Amino acid sequence: MTDVSAPHAAAARPRWDIRQVPGIGGLGLGIAAAVLILTWVGSDGYRQTLVTASVTYALIALGMYVPYLMAGSLSMAYSAYAGIGGYAVGLISTRTDLPLLLAWIAGPIVAAVIAVLLGLATRRLSGFFLAAVTLLFGMAFTAFLIDGERLTGGSGGVGNLRPLRLFGWMPSHYQVVVGSVIVVCVVAFLLDRLRLSPWGVIVRTMRDAPRAVEAAGVRVPMMNLVALALGAAIAAVGGGLFAYSAGSITPDTFTLNIVFLAIFMPLIGGSGTPWGAVAGAVLAVELTLNFPAIQASGTLLLALGVLVIMLVAPKGVIGYADKLRRRAMTLPRRRRTGG
Amino acid sequence: MTDLQLWLSAMEMGCFFGMLALAYYLVQVGAGFFNFAIGPYAMMGGLCTSWLVIEYDLGVWPAAGIAVAVTLLLAAGTELGVVRPVQRRSGGGELPALVAVAAVLFTIQQIAGYLFGHPTLPGQSLATFDPLPIGGIVVQPSSLLLIVVTVLTFGVTAVWIRATRTGRLLRAVGDSKQAASLLGLPVNRIRLVAFLAAGFLAAVAGLLFAPKAGVHSLSGLHWSLSGFLAVVIGGTGSVWAPLFGGMLLGLVEVFLPYYFGGQSHVYGMLLIALLFFAFRPQGLFVRTVRA
Repeated sequence: MTDVSAPHAAAARPRWDIRQVPGIGGLGLGIAAAVLILTWVGSDGYRQTLVTASVTYALIALGMYVPYLMAGSLSMAYSAYAGIGGYAVGLISTRTDLPLLLAWIAGPIVAAVIAVLLGLATRRLSGFFLAAVTLLFGMAFTAFLIDGERLTGGSGGVGNLRPLRLFGWMPSHYQVVVGSVIVVCVVAFLLDRLRLSPWGVIVRTMRDAPRAVEAAGVRVPMMNLVALALGAAIAAVGGGLFAYSAGSITPDTFTLNIVFLAIFMPLIGGSGTPWGAVAGAVLAVELTLNFPAIQASGTLLLALGVLVIMLVAPKGVIGYADKLRRRAMTLPRRRRTGG
Repeated sequence: MTDLQLWLSAMEMGCFFGMLALAYYLVQVGAGFFNFAIGPYAMMGGLCTSWLVIEYDLGVWPAAGIAVAVTLLLAAGTELGVVRPVQRRSGGGELPALVAVAAVLFTIQQIAGYLFGHPTLPGQSLATFDPLPIGGIVVQPSSLLLIVVTVLTFGVTAVWIRATRTGRLLRAVGDSKQAASLLGLPVNRIRLVAFLAAGFLAAVAGLLFAPKAGVHSLSGLHWSLSGFLAVVIGGTGSVWAPLFGGMLLGLVEVFLPYYFGGQSHVYGMLLIALLFFAFRPQGLFVRTVRA
């Protein structure tokens, strides 16, 4: 009697094990890397700038992750979304007396609304057509920033942002850097969970077999719009962080260059998990900004590296490391059984 | 819209976009694929020529020859080194090929920036006769050359694609890759021919258009988009359709800024793209097949 009911009881009330939480491994590694990076940074102003740039790149790449790698549609308007986030911070800071924190709520919402409108206008497009229209939208947005002088300050942009104040507490620059790293870790972890959630599974199936998903009663265009809005909002958060740390924002802050880099970051890091986008962002900043000797050719190295990775290791650095880890783990086992 | 000089300018733009669109068209017909690296090919053709002439005092013709050869190498590299392996691995998916060609576009821009520097170089004109006054306007030799070469190119391409063996093979492979390979046609070689022809056209277009506004290592992306729009507007129904699309786009690029100022052609291009992609994604000229 007891030996029959025991497995039942165990199944009904399993022991809670932290290793069973989906995505926890990535979070652990991510936090470890973040702590290492933050101790390396310390109070060095230049290194803080590097981390801010990495954080911004990572958030833009994470924003693209949802529609691009989960839903499989390449929207390239992310320079505009990041710009909206940045200008939200700039305009609320200089034109109004509202609390600055509001910018990180308003910016992502505006970016999401624009993404939905653009998504509605392009809902029948995919592949090359979608990429072309969204690229043109990014260009038109830059033109609008330069033209709309009364609203956006023209080509000079918005400068002299006031410091953040959270309920009377004014965080130092280093604290802002730490906070933004935490934001990246949280967003990457949540996206990893989202990828494994039922919603994420539907979106990823939609990428491979849209008709089957449609036939199963899921409204594919609606899911696509939600993915686009979510991505735009995340990118806007990144744009806001960058504008705040730099203290100013101009139409040249977020160019199409960043969009191309953001497409490549998940490929470099590994497209299997959102943490790949973060790893790719850190690598991209290291290559393009940090090494003075190769700074001129850093972007070229990155571009060539992307081509090589696409041809040799399609799962990126994390995928390659995972393969090595698996091989290393099976090696002793094989020796034990085979020897 | 009575200023003839503006019409000439629009025609030059139209010819340039038409040539780029023809390059897109050839790759589209032969490989069923939009090669977004066409703009950077054109940039390479123009920038490499100018750089060789300015840095090494080379004659314009040998410099242009070298630039075209380099571009042909790039085009062959795109097909053999990147697009073909990526497409083979990914099966029929469009996204991997798109990302691959975006990487190629970005890489060519970076290589050009690294080799030739970042300032805008003036274009070098292949023709050196005096400007011609025609009906109250002055036609620069470079403009005349661009227009004449464009018309000739379209004529030759139309004959080539209709009458020659390679042209017929190109269309056969484009119509159905499976059927063509079942029949034992050299699919891979034909695809390579399409890429090489596109690279050649783009390089020539780029070096002929460069005298108009100079050329910069980042010009390629804008040119890619313009050529793509031109081929989408024109459609792929006839060899001349890309020229028509290019001319229409040239008018937009010239007359919108003239009447509405500054950046309005960017908005105009976005609007045209949205309208065409939404309502007539197959373009104006469509090949009708009898059922």
